[in-house]
Amino acid sequence: MLKFDVLVIGSGGAGMRAALEAGRQGNLSVALMTKMFPTRSATGMAQGGINGVLRNADPNDSLEKHIFDTVKGSDFLGDQDAIEFFCNYAPECINEIDYFGVPFSRDAQGRIAQRNFGGQSSPRTCYSADKTGHVILHTMFEQCLKHGVKILKEMQLLDLVVDQGELQGIVALDIQSGEIMPVMAKAVVIATGGAGRMYWFRTTNPFTSTGDGMAAAFRAGIPLKDPEMVQFHPTGLASTGILMSEAVRGEGGYLINKDGERFMQRYAPEKMELATRDVVAKGIETEIKEGRGFGEGVNAYVLADLRHLGKETILEKLHGIRDLAISFEHVDPLSEPIPIRPTCHYSMGGIDVIDHTRCATAITGVFAAGEASCISIHGANRLGGNSLADIMVFGKFAGRGATECARQRQFGGQTKLAEAAKLWQDRFNQAVSRQEGVTVASLRNRLADIMWNNVGIFRNEADMLAAQKVIDGLIAEYQTCKVGDSSKLFNTAFVNYVEMGNLLTIAKAVVLGAIHRQESRGCHLRDDYTERDDRNFLQHTLVTLESGQYKLSYRPVVITKYQPAERRY
Amino acid sequence: MRQITYKIQRFDGTKSFTQEYSFAHEPGKTILWGLQKIKDTLDASLTFVAACRSAVCGACAVRVNGHAMLACEAALDDVVERFGDTLIIAPLGNFKVIRDLVVDWEPKIERMKEVKPWLIPQDEFTAASGCRQSPAEFKKINTQTNCILCGSCASECNKLSADGSDFYEPFIYSKAQKFVADSRDKGDWEHLKPAVERGLWKCVHCQECITKCPKHVEPAEDIAKLRQTSIRLGVTDNLGARHALAFVADLAESGRLNEVKMAMRTEGILRTAARLPFALRLLRKGKINPLHALTGNAPVKGIEQVRAIMKAVKEAEK
Ligand SMILES: Cc1cc2nc3c(=O)[nH]c(=O)nc-3n(C[C@H](O)[C@H](O)[C@H](O)COP(=O)(O)OP(=O)(O)OC[C@H]3O[C@@H](n4cnc5c(N)ncnc54)[C@H](O)[C@@H]3O)c2cc1C
Ligand code: FES
Repeated sequence: MLKFDVLVIGSGGAGMRAALEAGRQGNLSVALMTKMFPTRSATGMAQGGINGVLRNADPNDSLEKHIFDTVKGSDFLGDQDAIEFFCNYAPECINEIDYFGVPFSRDAQGRIAQRNFGGQSSPRTCYSADKTGHVILHTMFEQCLKHGVKILKEMQLLDLVVDQGELQGIVALDIQSGEIMPVMAKAVVIATGGAGRMYWFRTTNPFTSTGDGMAAAFRAGIPLKDPEMVQFHPTGLASTGILMSEAVRGEGGYLINKDGERFMQRYAPEKMELATRDVVAKGIETEIKEGRGFGEGVNAYVLADLRHLGKETILEKLHGIRDLAISFEHVDPLSEPIPIRPTCHYSMGGIDVIDHTRCATAITGVFAAGEASCISIHGANRLGGNSLADIMVFGKFAGRGATECARQRQFGGQTKLAEAAKLWQDRFNQAVSRQEGVTVASLRNRLADIMWNNVGIFRNEADMLAAQKVIDGLIAEYQTCKVGDSSKLFNTAFVNYVEMGNLLTIAKAVVLGAIHRQESRGCHLRDDYTERDDRNFLQHTLVTLESGQYKLSYRPVVITKYQPAERRY
Repeated sequence: MRQITYKIQRFDGTKSFTQEYSFAHEPGKTILWGLQKIKDTLDASLTFVAACRSAVCGACAVRVNGHAMLACEAALDDVVERFGDTLIIAPLGNFKVIRDLVVDWEPKIERMKEVKPWLIPQDEFTAASGCRQSPAEFKKINTQTNCILCGSCASECNKLSADGSDFYEPFIYSKAQKFVADSRDKGDWEHLKPAVERGLWKCVHCQECITKCPKHVEPAEDIAKLRQTSIRLGVTDNLGARHALAFVADLAESGRLNEVKMAMRTEGILRTAARLPFALRLLRKGKINPLHALTGNAPVKGIEQVRAIMKAVKEAEK
């Protein structure tokens, strides 16, 4: 049986940073497991940048300001002790990755360049042209190669195996060989990223963001914290959900409905297109809902018109956006407006971390970092640039936490691991041999439809109760659905089937949390409860699986210095 | 209704076969959309990989009618306009195929490790305070950092197809150059040495790597830059460098190449002698003048301009 002192799962920024840190601590066996080739991760898609108070662009920036911006951005749902910790460590973690080789853009003095980003009171977003995440991801990979981190690529985490509150190891699918294998581990770091794919084509996330780690932790008994907190970006490309950066609006683009009207005048008469993300997203969806969009159903959209900005501005300042529009929407913004619609962008919620200094969860031996985790520093709304910083800071501390834990633990028994592997083997055999049943693609599309329409940007009780029913129905159908490929060799149909199960598991938690959060806070916007309600909901939602049932509970937010105030920009 | 057909080169671990799938054309889609459509509605066993579907993760590169491209970025309409409504889709060339369109990256990364593809920071920098680099120095590595490890360059590299045993995948040279050119790095020779030893002078200049790179990385250019650096570092004791130097010497001397001297300078007298039969054939056809071995070419008309241009190039390189 494979066995490792520390096993990191997921090779985005968080996972690779954790594996590096664990590997550096010496004489422990460390492995990094990932379901594709390591650099195919969401981290590589981040363009904008990474936040930290380096004071290169603004000598008056301060940790206090970064902390406050993050607290306020989170709509006061972020834990202030964790946010303080995060902001304190961000600058040194950024310097460190500069030393690892991240090619940052530079200011005239050769220091890391920093720029403005939404929701921030100082220019503190460090960047590398428009490919910050990409260069961070590849630099982390280079460092893993340098330090000889053992990489188990194309292996998918299926489940965590826990005995009496203690980790024993995991069960994984070796995608290449089709073997389902138990792996013993003293400590595991889950860094498997977000779950945006529950909205399928209406997300900026890659195909791999299917909440596998969240669902595995949930099945192992770890709560999901604030799962209902899902961030939507107002401007995704209409047909694919691919992210169009804020610059579309920032540079003065118009948003137009099918009557040729600049509809933002109805929702934000002063700021118009420059209103905050949630206001714009809501505006666009209202237009579509009321029949003033183009197209139908999930395929409906409005237009972002840049033509009045002139060729020069478009070519100079918006060339990245123009490239994306041409490549993925097949329109050239020089001559045509771009079809756009909001798109799911980020999962603020995730695996409940109870000690942010080690990224520890309630189960001894299980750690979580990155988008898969909920620490919570992003609360009800993440600030742009804070996620890359999150994965560098907490990836490191999770690696350290796991190492310390592994030093203190012995390997557990093998019986439960073998049993769990056997269960999965049976499940594989049954699932791939079914000839009848609905396809995974059909479940996926129906889940996305109901999530988008009923648990998307607009939320209210009736819609969400309806969604709950549909999701329960899909879960029932899932039990007998058809994989359609019985090969053991690189069976991606089975991988997708596992992912589908995880998406359903998480979606159900999202809906449950959302129904019971009877307020509007950050990204969670309800038409039936339009105000923030600090008396009842200055609390984290916790959804736990107990004897097969989803149980709901709450935990107060940690407040140190900043009392909740109205959030205005 | 207009139908698109993909003829897909499949592999199930033991045998290769071609399978055809047809589906209704939709405007504004990509090659990847077609693959996904087949997997969703026609045959779930068709195997390919993709993650970002926005041309940044490098997972989805395949060969369409013999050309490597990112399936997620390749516009179906453009491709069918070029090749017709029936497309031949195959896994990347010069890779071991695992299943259908999925290829094995493991051996490639093992090779890439040889050029130490990581920053070897200058002594003045520390992990605590990071590094310093001017914007101009940053610019020197801004192209190479675009590489997404998609493998398109390796797929289309003519040298690799002919013989990969003495040549790296083009992206590996770009990785090496990324660190050689990085002002924060002190290990030029460590990145460069393996490249010199494996094929640096063997690139056949077909430029396919540059043409096929979806991210505008220029491996062939990087190979040229690595060669320059190797000569600057005094690594001239190899055929490629001697050839290049002889070339330059000839140009400076007479404004044209002296094949006879070139061979002697590049390969040495003994090895050149072994090429005597070839030389005799050239001689018979009047292609070379044996006297030039002793006397050299007479300078061409305008040699002064040639020398001036060479001087200007040298200046510009500084
Ligand atoms: C288009 C886009 C733009 C963004 N821009 C920014 C930005 O400018 N600034 C910013 O701060 N943030 C940005 N974000 C958010 C940020 O990029 C992500 O939140 C962050 O990178 C997540 O990192 P991660 O390491 O947690 O997970 P990921 O990078 O998502 O990595 C998850 C890893 O886990 C693996 N995995 C998943 N499931 C399994 C399994 N079952 N078994 C094994 N491995 C598994 C995946 O293959 C992957 O390697 C952006 C996100 C997107 C999608
Ligand atoms: S899917 Fe990522 S490059 Fe095509």
